[in-house]
Formats: sequence, structure tokens, C-alpha cells
Amino acid sequence: MGRPATYQLLSILDFNNIRKRMSVIVRNPEGRIRLYCKGADTLLFERLHPCNQDLMNITTDHLNEYAGDGLRTLLLAYKDLEESEYEAWSERLQRASKAVDCREERLAAVYEEIEQDMMLLGATAIEDKLQEGVPETIAILTLANIKIWVLTGDKQETAVNIGYSCKMLTDDMTEVFFVTGRTVHEVREELRKAREKMMDSTRTLGNGFPYQQEKLDPPKGSSVLEAIPGEYAVCVCVCLQAHALEADMELEFLETACACKAVICCRVTPLQKAQVVELVKKYKRAVTLAIGDGANDVSMIKTAHIGVGISGQEGIQAVLASDYTFSQFKSLQRLLLVHGRWSYLRMCKFLCYFFYKNFAFTMVHFWFGFFCGFSAQTVYDQYFITLYNIVYTSLPVLAMGIFDQDVPEQRSLEYPKLYEPGQLNLLFNKREFFICIAQGIYTSVVLFFVSYGVFADDVTQLADYQSFAVTVATSLVIVVSVQIALDTGYWTAINHFFIWGSVAMYFAIMFAMHSDGLFNIFPNQFTFVGNAQNTLAQPAVWFTILLSTVVCIVPVVTFRFLKLDLKPQLSDTVRYTQLVRKKQKPQGRRLRIVGRTGSRRTGYAFSHQEGFGELITSGKNMRLSSLALSSFTGRSSASWIDTLRKKRGTESPAAQQVSAGASPQGAEASQVSGGVPLEAPETGVTGLAGGASAPGPASITEECAVKE
Amino acid sequence: MASSYNAKEEDGQLSGAAGSGGVGAGKSKKPDNTAFKQQRLPAWQPILTAGTVLPAFFVIGLIFIPIGIGLFVTSNNIKEFEIDYTGIDPASECYNCSQTLTWNSTKPCICKVPFTLEQSFESDVFMYYGLSNFYQNHRRYVKSRDDSQLNGDTSSLTSPSKECEPYRTSDNKPIAPCGAIANSLFNDTLTLYYINPNGTESLVPLIKKGIAWWTDKNVKFRNPGGSNFNLTAVFQGNSKPVNWRKPVYELDTDPENNGFINEDFIVWMRTAALPTFRKLYRLIEKKNNMIPTLQRGNYTLEITYNYPVRRFDGRKRMILSTISWMGGKNPFLGIAYITVGSVCFFLGVVLLIIHQKYGNRNNSAEIPN
Repeated sequence: MGRPATYQLLSILDFNNIRKRMSVIVRNPEGRIRLYCKGADTLLFERLHPCNQDLMNITTDHLNEYAGDGLRTLLLAYKDLEESEYEAWSERLQRASKAVDCREERLAAVYEEIEQDMMLLGATAIEDKLQEGVPETIAILTLANIKIWVLTGDKQETAVNIGYSCKMLTDDMTEVFFVTGRTVHEVREELRKAREKMMDSTRTLGNGFPYQQEKLDPPKGSSVLEAIPGEYAVCVCVCLQAHALEADMELEFLETACACKAVICCRVTPLQKAQVVELVKKYKRAVTLAIGDGANDVSMIKTAHIGVGISGQEGIQAVLASDYTFSQFKSLQRLLLVHGRWSYLRMCKFLCYFFYKNFAFTMVHFWFGFFCGFSAQTVYDQYFITLYNIVYTSLPVLAMGIFDQDVPEQRSLEYPKLYEPGQLNLLFNKREFFICIAQGIYTSVVLFFVSYGVFADDVTQLADYQSFAVTVATSLVIVVSVQIALDTGYWTAINHFFIWGSVAMYFAIMFAMHSDGLFNIFPNQFTFVGNAQNTLAQPAVWFTILLSTVVCIVPVVTFRFLKLDLKPQLSDTVRYTQLVRKKQKPQGRRLRIVGRTGSRRTGYAFSHQEGFGELITSGKNMRLSSLALSSFTGRSSASWIDTLRKKRGTESPAAQQVSAGASPQGAEASQVSGGVPLEAPETGVTGLAGGASAPGPASITEECAVKE
Repeated sequence: MASSYNAKEEDGQLSGAAGSGGVGAGKSKKPDNTAFKQQRLPAWQPILTAGTVLPAFFVIGLIFIPIGIGLFVTSNNIKEFEIDYTGIDPASECYNCSQTLTWNSTKPCICKVPFTLEQSFESDVFMYYGLSNFYQNHRRYVKSRDDSQLNGDTSSLTSPSKECEPYRTSDNKPIAPCGAIANSLFNDTLTLYYINPNGTESLVPLIKKGIAWWTDKNVKFRNPGGSNFNLTAVFQGNSKPVNWRKPVYELDTDPENNGFINEDFIVWMRTAALPTFRKLYRLIEKKNNMIPTLQRGNYTLEITYNYPVRRFDGRKRMILSTISWMGGKNPFLGIAYITVGSVCFFLGVVLLIIHQKYGNRNNSAEIPN
């Protein structure tokens, strides 16, 4: 010990996920040839020499203990080889590696030959560090009505413990079902039992029972299982046979799984991960998001609607295959709850406004058709038609589509329920679409007939077509600008600039188009010469414009106000509260920001937070205590714990409202599936740029037990 | 707030470093930590609260109702007299003219329509002619003109725009002014006589200049070859529009009101927005403060009946009207303003009641989750 020894590497028997082991053959300094193998316990135990039986039993106990602690285990073994034996094998290896067809299989067979009768060396257990913020993220996403499935290749025990450590499984849960059957029958039986149990509890608990708060999935009808009270988790050990994913079983599996609060699938191969995602996509009409960090998550990331790669120590395959990439799992909450939400809101508002403004613009021609002999005469000047969509009304709605926020980001993290309108498709659906259309048509009716009323009665020389065109066009631009001003909930300087600028631009361009200079150059193109100044000099025109604007906008304001006042959405309430708070204590925020410049880096999600490390190593399940949690979350997001607690109690009125008023087309819950990202155990370095908010010492610990 | 920004910063950094993949490794994709790129521009977040909406409704109501009353009163103070002289009714004076009118009749048909003004018109009076069921806003009609020809462009004079078809050439000569609008120029002549109490007729002086927009008269419409040119010579190579009795250079004797810059012509060329319209025909100016412009009494409208409208069921009217700062008589705006103002006020009251009774006023207390 203590001095370097040089081993000569003879060959590497590479790893793949079927072999689940890897070996090297080396020549040690003494000249003897030896094979070292590391791999999954189940496979290695089969290939050990029978004389290891005693050691195997002890090791198995240890392994179970480690796995119970949530550690990742590997078995190590060795085998001494004779020179001749190696020579002969090496020749076979040569032949196999030169094979033209089925080389993989042949190589595997050759590897298999030599990896027999090995001597057990020991086991390693490496602590898998959860990234910072994983439990909080999962808790928040759960509150946001997102169902999370964990698909992992780990052993069942490891997976369950990770499930506990990241708060997917809790002691509050009524029961955790394990589906570990190795045959079709066993699996079917286990699934059936699990469902029966859940059904039983439905009957016994009844409706009045206070425990009935967990609406896992927004109601979808069909299945009774959806309304299961209590919290269940199902832990499915898929194994190689993948019975649960077979065609005749998949529905049963899915229904059982969806009725549960947490789903963990362990021993899942990359292909099976994709199959599970496919299954959910196929039957649940849900939007799926897959997040993972390793190459084995690639298929799943590609299958899901949204693929997210975690860039970290496990290579960049996942990153390359994904739609979004970040380095920390906890960024998922910002991706979904902040940016995803904003993005949805913006897109919906953008779309609605677009339909609205184009209907308001176009339908005027329809009404005019009744008065011009349906001759397709346009109401507006040709240049107005050209520029309306690209200059006069494009930038304000773009600014809204880029900058609009209904609630600030920290609020949307605080109130994960704000995410729900997106899941229920509330902001843009057929109904909203027709409302936009109706509003557009109403606007066009008002624009045309108010101007018609004025022009039909005639005011001096105003009755001409060009003045009518200018009046209607000006009213239109002003009405849609006021409308975008109403729609814009977040007025940045850019919004101001675009909205005011668009109106100013309209007048500037109109006066330029109607100017003498342009007319003198192209008399046939700019026939509206002098129209702007003559028309807009008439007070009657301005009264017309004002009247049109008020008549168009007042109903909108009335409906919005009534909606806000009588049936406020959660986001409205949050906004309102924000406003009130701002007025009450304007300097509260500044103080907070000062307090947050502390530690920027902690590598570990647990293990040096009081209680947690001990809990994990002691193998006991952790009870979600809000106190311990709040020490994680840092000051800013401490309040979500309160919301969590509140949720534990009785279901609040708002939540009921949402589920009761669930969308007519069948609600969809987003589901997140994916392996909980663990920092690579092999490296032992936390590396990543560190956490942001959680206070705590930035130290690295790694528990590594090697048993000789 | 700061915590979230930090997180964002790191995302950018890391994805820039690790996620760059195929892209050049040195180039960081991290977005700048500016308020603009990080979506934290300072912003004003208006909310529709009872405190803003209800006062707004009341204010709109309180502003609109007086405006409406003002507009209504103004409109009502305007005196207007309208007479239909189409001659549909066999008993009417112009019946004969309307029956016998043909395109190529050279002898003008004159009819006299007597009427009585119940009130005197005190201020300046505008005289209009009105046409009904005349689709001057029809697409093919509207574009059937050549603005560069009307602007005095000599090349357009010799070869008018294709838009003018089929009123582009006649007798192998280009038409000036070409097109359907010009061709259908309103050519009735209206003259007004006041019948003195002693039975004698006195001509009411009608001013025919100043009825067109300044820009039209001086910018849009110009005679070819400048103003002091001999118009007859300029239009030598052109033929008159087929429906016209006389060529364009004989529209008036006044060189300032002849040719393309004839104001009756300009007014006609400014096409109407709606099928029923009126166009300014003449002005009657107030002479002195003692005598009203048009005193109450009997008048005779003498019409040189040239314009056929019976074929398309049209109507011809003559309108006398005073004007205000608002323009002509227009009760619509006043009524509309009063209605909208009242509705707003009423809505304000209703919303206030709803808000008081059912409103969600304690929403600041607790946010349900």
C-alpha cells in the first residue's frame, strides 16, 4: 500500500445495458492475468463461484441495507486466469470481433464465457446526491396539478428511497403498492389488487371524509378510479419482461397508475421509458414532458411532447435530444410555472387579439357591401389596408406577446395553482375564439354604423367616400389601440412606446399619404390628397371617433369588470393582492433582495441539512415536515409551504371552482415523467454552478462504502 | 425575486457551457443579465378595479350627456328645408320633364316648383342637391377616373388611363374628362326666386364658388397648360364626355371656374360614400344683419331638368340648410351621445350595486390555493 503499481491492460469487456456489467483483464506486476468485473448484483451473483456462498449471503444483506439507504450499489468480483486460458479466449475474442454479422451477440457470448466462476471481491455503495431543490420542485409541480412519474433504471429499493428523499413518496400516503411480478399473471394480479384496495377505500371513506382532497387528475369521466380518495403510490418494477407494458395490460397499468399520487417505475430500460411515455400520450390526452440527464433518457425525451435535458456530468446526449436544457432539475419549476405559464398566457392573448383586430378590420367591408351594391368597394384607402396589419397594429400586440405578465414570477412559483388554466385549456379554446370573433364583429358593426349614422344624415360636405374612409379607419385604429391597451397587463416602456407610437405613426403616415407632395409626384396613386386635413378638421368626425371608441370599449370593460368582480380567477386575485401589498409596504422588497446575497452554492440537497441525511442513512422514511422543508427553500419561497399545508387541509373554494368548472373538452393534466436527476456518483464532484437561493454551507460529502 | 433571477442566470450560463454541443465552444449563449432580456423591465400593471371602472363610467356618462345635449340643440337650431323635385307624381310640376327627358334632347326642359319657407333663414344658407339610390360608391364607378388627367397632365389628356373604359374615347378622340364619374356629372340647373309679397319674383343670388375643398380646387384639380391658357385650344384634341351637352371648357364663363377646376365638377368628382347623398350646390351669403338671408315666404325653384334618374328609381332633391360649427343638421350624433352617456351612467349605477352586493371585496385577505 502506498506505492504505485502498474497493471497492464489486456482487454476491456465493455458495458451495455443488457450485460449490466463491465470487466477488464489486466496483467498485474507479478505477471499474473486477472479479470476484474463490476456490475449489477443480480447478474454478478449468478456468475460467482459456488464457494462464495457465505460471503454472498453477507454481501446480500449489506447490499439490501445500502439500497435501503438509497445508495447505488455495485458488486465487484475478480477471477484469476491462466496464461493459456487467456490466450485461447483472446483468440476467440479476435474471431468474434472480426465477425461480419451478429458481432454484438458473438462478442457478448465470448464475454459471457470468461465471466464465469468469479470470486466475490465486495460491494460498493455510492450515495446518489439529489440535486438541490428537487423535493421542492416536485412538491410545487404536484401542487400545480402535474403528475410526476419517475422512470429509473435503478433497483426497486434505491428507487423507492429516492422517491422518499425527493418527497414523491411520503409517510402520509395510505399505501404504496409494489408491482414486482415476474410473470404476466403475477403482474395482472398485483395491479388488480391495488385497484381493489383503492376502490374499497372509496367505498369506506365515502364522500364526507375530510381526506377527500386530492384531485389528482382533473376529472376525465370514464374511470371510477379517478376519484380515489387518499394518497396512493404505485411502484412498478418493470423488469426485463416488461409485462406491464404489454398490449393487453397497458390500460390496466395506466389506470392504476393514474389513480395513484406517485408512480415510480424502476428497472426500466431506455426503450421502456419511451414506451411508458407513449402509453400516457396514447390514452390520456395529456401533455407529457420528459426530463432526464443521461443518454438512456434520450428515447423518452424524444417521445414526450416536451423534452428537457439536464446538462451535467452524464454527457450531452440528453441535451442534444431535448427541446429545453438546463443544468438543475429545479429549473423545471421556472420553465413550467413561470416561463411556460407566461408563454401560454401571451400566446393566447396574442391570438385572441389578432383574430379580434382582423375581424374588426375586415367585417366593416361586409356591412359596407349592403350600401355599395356589393361591388367589393373597400371602405379604406388602399394604403391603409396595406399598412394596417404591418404598421398600425402589429407592434403593440408583439410587445404584449413578448412582455406581458399577469403575475410576477415569484407569485407564480408561490401559487402553483396558477398553472391550472393552461392545463384546462382555459385561455384559448373554441369558446374564447368565438368570443374574440364576436367582439371583432361587434366592433366592426359599431365602427361602420356609427359612421353611417353620421354620414347618412350628412354634415356639410362630409358625405364623400374618402372622408368616410378616413373616419372609419381612424376610429378603427383608435379602437384597436385602446383594446390592446386594455389587454396589456404589463406596461413596460416598450409597450408605451409601441402603443402610442402606432397611433402616432398612423396619423403621420396618413398625413404623408394625403399630402400634396406625394400627389404631385404620383397623382394616380395618392388620390386621397388633402383628405386627412379636411376631414379631421371637422369636429363631427372627432365626435364620431370618440363615440365609436366608447361604444366599442364600454361593453368590454363592463364584462371584464364583472368577471373580475364576481368570479375572479386566481391570477386576478394574486394581481390584486400584489397591488394592495405594493401600496402597503413599498420597501419590503428591497430588504429581501439585500438578504439574499449569501451563499450561492450548495452541492447537496440533503445530507448536511439537519435531519435529512440522518433520515436517509437510517433508512427510515421521511415525514414531510414543513419546518425542515422551509429551511431548504430559503426565505423567498417559504410561503409555498403554507400553501402546501393549506392544501392538506380542506380544499379551498378556488380549487373547487377550477375542478368543477373543468373544461368541456375533457381536462388534461400534464404529466412529467423522467428519472430524478442525480448527480453522477462516479465523479463525486458537485461541480455545477451551484444553487441560487438555499442557504447553507457549500461542502461536499460523499458516502462510499467499500466492503472487502 | 432575486433568487429567481440568480437561478435564471445560472441556467443561461450552464446551458451555454454544456449545451453548446455543435456550436463553437467559446461562444456563450448566456443571455445578458439585463432587465430587458431577463423580462424584468419595470412596468405599470393596471387592473380593472371598482375604484377605476365605476368612476370612469360615471365620468363618461357625465361628459357624454352634456355633449349630446349640446350637439342635439345645435343640430335642432339648424334650419333645413328639403324638396323633392323628381317628378314621379303626375301632379307634380316636373312630371312632364321627367317623362319627356331624353339623352339627346337639345331643348332644355324647365319646370318651376313653388314652395314656402315657414321660417326665415338667418345665417348663411347652403344649397344642396340630393340624389337617392345613386350608387356613387360602386367599385367600378369609383375607380373610373383619371386623376392625373384631372391634375392637368397633358399626356393623360391625350391618352387617358385604362380605368376610364368604356368612357375613355369617343369619336376616336380621347375624352376629357374621362371616366364614368365625369360622364354622369349632375347637370340640372337650379335657380331660386323669392316671391315678394306684391307678387313679383326676385332672383336669389347664388354663389357658385367656394363650395369645393381648397385642396381639391388648387392641388388635385388643375387645368392642363396652366390657368391663363386658352382652354378651348387645350381641349382641342379631346371630345366631350358622351352624356355631356357641352364640352368641359364651356362649363363656366369665369376662367377661374372653368374646365377641370369648375367647382360643380369638383364636387361631383368627390364621390359619395352612400347611395343616398347630397352635394353642395350653391351658397347664399348673408348680405347684412338686418335682413335674413332667406326670409319666410314663398319661393319658386326653377329647374332646368336635364338629369334622368327615373331609370334607376332615383330621386332628386333640393335642400336649403344653414350650418353650425358642427356642420349640417345631424340629430344622430346628439341622440347617440345622450343615449351612450345615459347607458354608461346607468351601467355605472348597476355595476356599483352589483359590486356592493356581490362583489369580491375581500379578495385581498386570502388567496385560495
